[in-house]
Amino acid sequence: MVRVYQAHSYPGESEESKQRKLTDEAIAEIKSIEGVLAVSPAYEVGGEAKLGNKTGYLQIIGIDAATMELMDFDVDYGRMLNTSDQYNVVAGSRVIDNFYDPRQQPDRVKEWEEGDPLELLDKRVSVTLMNQRQQKRIYSLNVVGILSAKSLEYAWSVFAPIKEVKKMRDFSLQGMQGGQAFPPGKEIAVPELPRELPSKGDDQYSFALVRAQDVSYAKYISQELRDRGFNATSMADNLDGIEHVARQMQAVLGGIGAITLLVAAIGITNTMIMSIYERTREIAIMKVVGASFADIRTLFLAESSLIGIIGGTLGIGLSYFLSYLLNKYVGAMMFSGMEGENMFQISLIPPWLILFALIFSMGIGLISGLYPANRAIKLDPIDAMRNG
Amino acid sequence: MPLLELRNVIKKYRVGKEIVTALDGVNLSLEAGEFVAILGTSGSGKTTLLNVAAGLEKPTRGEVVFRNVTLNKLKEWQKVIFRRKQMGFIFQSYNLIPSLTAEENVALPLLFDNVPPWERMRRAAAVLAQMGLKDRRKHKPTEMSGGQQQRVAIARAIVHQPRIIFADELTGNLDSRTTHDIMLSLQATVKKQGQTLLMVTHDRDVANYADRIIFMVDGKIVSEEQGRK
Ligand SMILES: Nc1ncnc2c1ncn2[C@@H]1O[C@H](COP(=O)(O)OP(=O)(O)OP(=O)(O)O)[C@@H](O)[C@H]1O
Ligand SMILES: [Mg+2]
Repeated sequence: MVRVYQAHSYPGESEESKQRKLTDEAIAEIKSIEGVLAVSPAYEVGGEAKLGNKTGYLQIIGIDAATMELMDFDVDYGRMLNTSDQYNVVAGSRVIDNFYDPRQQPDRVKEWEEGDPLELLDKRVSVTLMNQRQQKRIYSLNVVGILSAKSLEYAWSVFAPIKEVKKMRDFSLQGMQGGQAFPPGKEIAVPELPRELPSKGDDQYSFALVRAQDVSYAKYISQELRDRGFNATSMADNLDGIEHVARQMQAVLGGIGAITLLVAAIGITNTMIMSIYERTREIAIMKVVGASFADIRTLFLAESSLIGIIGGTLGIGLSYFLSYLLNKYVGAMMFSGMEGENMFQISLIPPWLILFALIFSMGIGLISGLYPANRAIKLDPIDAMRNG
Repeated sequence: MPLLELRNVIKKYRVGKEIVTALDGVNLSLEAGEFVAILGTSGSGKTTLLNVAAGLEKPTRGEVVFRNVTLNKLKEWQKVIFRRKQMGFIFQSYNLIPSLTAEENVALPLLFDNVPPWERMRRAAAVLAQMGLKDRRKHKPTEMSGGQQQRVAIARAIVHQPRIIFADELTGNLDSRTTHDIMLSLQATVKKQGQTLLMVTHDRDVANYADRIIFMVDGKIVSEEQGRK
């Protein structure tokens, strides 16, 4: 999903650097970009809300109800919006957490607790908006559906038909001069740079939601939108940053891994040299009864490879265990609030990596055994026998 | 034509600045099927003679000729083949591998000769039976007496039917009764199979089981006698 924000422009800027306004023509243009599945303009208002005895705050997003399904919205309970809805809304799964009962524990800071989203279903929520002229208007909204808990991005938002939200927004913007949303009394701050914000009559949407046909299009679309002068961002853009951090982390972990590997290889070499000391006599015996250089070498390389394989196997086992713990505890912590049977995979071990790790650790064992094996070969059986 | 011939063999060791002459011009010739004992006091060079004759050590000067091949001119890998196919070794301290059973120890030379496992085990069992150790096949060296261990070592020395067997003080750690038993069975075995045995000892009685007894003093062969048993 790509989000296109409304234009923020300053009078001093050149024409080209000005951001494009989110008008109906703009929405139509965005719709025609390759890979775009659906576009919905959106208005956004926020206000104090009441649910029975509880009070809270609601962020209301007005969207085109017809596009909801295409936008990949999904309800856990109730239903989605349809085009004939007026003051019906669909709430995100965590909206209920915005409400609290002011009579309970009045002086204690509200503890964060998970409410039951079903508490909202089929209830009326009244939202109070106030405009710059200190006029109040109360809207009564009817919750007809609860969004799926899987979508985190909009878990704290309420979705309503765009027409009604536009009315609400228009009301809340009444009395603004030059479009600036400063609280009364502070209006004249920074008069040199009056921002050309959407004001009444400036027919611009708050933002637009754009859905790509598939993930691979998302990055292209957001780039294309920026090229056309829109203020667009997408999760895919954020992913680039995440990937960069992940790559850096991989490099650091890789470095640690390389050092560990070197230490392990030295360990194997040392073990093998010790075992050659211990078995000097046996090596001598084998040589006397007809073992060739190749036989002795094979013997020691087989042993060191085996040490490598055993080490690799233990390492894989340990990795699985740590990965399990990581996913179970750290993963669960990071994504708490999202219930679901499936664990969140922060750590993933692909099957090919196991095979690679086994072959690799065997190779390390083999290389570590080369020097000790060579020493075993050079051992003079007569010297060894006399010492016995 | 002799099976093994030492021609004017000299072996010197350098110990620090000093040079020790362990063999001082040894001439010796062994015919196929002969049982020869080298008799001498400690430090007279008997072990050195045996090692040089077997190609385990290089002579400083002189030649060692085994079946028309000059051993001291061969590469290590070529000598390995000679040892593996045609030579057997018995030592004073048995030199069995402690982690292997009697049977596995005996089969060791066959392993390096790439004899298949079942054949190795069959032959090892047969030779152990021949040495009177039929019911000790699965025993580890530490679970056997010195005499039994030396019998296992003898079995290992003959399992691949070598042309020549080198034995260094093989009865050094055994009592006289056991020595007698072992010498008789070794004598019988090599005679039956027509094998050559070169045995080093400082014990006159043990030397008497041989066909010829060669006396060594200070790295030289001084005289020779017939064995009496
Ligand atoms: N690797 C060596 N380095 C230096 N000197 C050696 C070495 N091997 C043997 N000698 C010396 O060579 C001489 C002969 O040693 P050798 O082991 O052949 O005697 P031996 O007759 O087998 O004695 P023993 O009956 O005690 O086993 C000795 O003086 C010994 O010190
Ligand atoms: Mg000796």
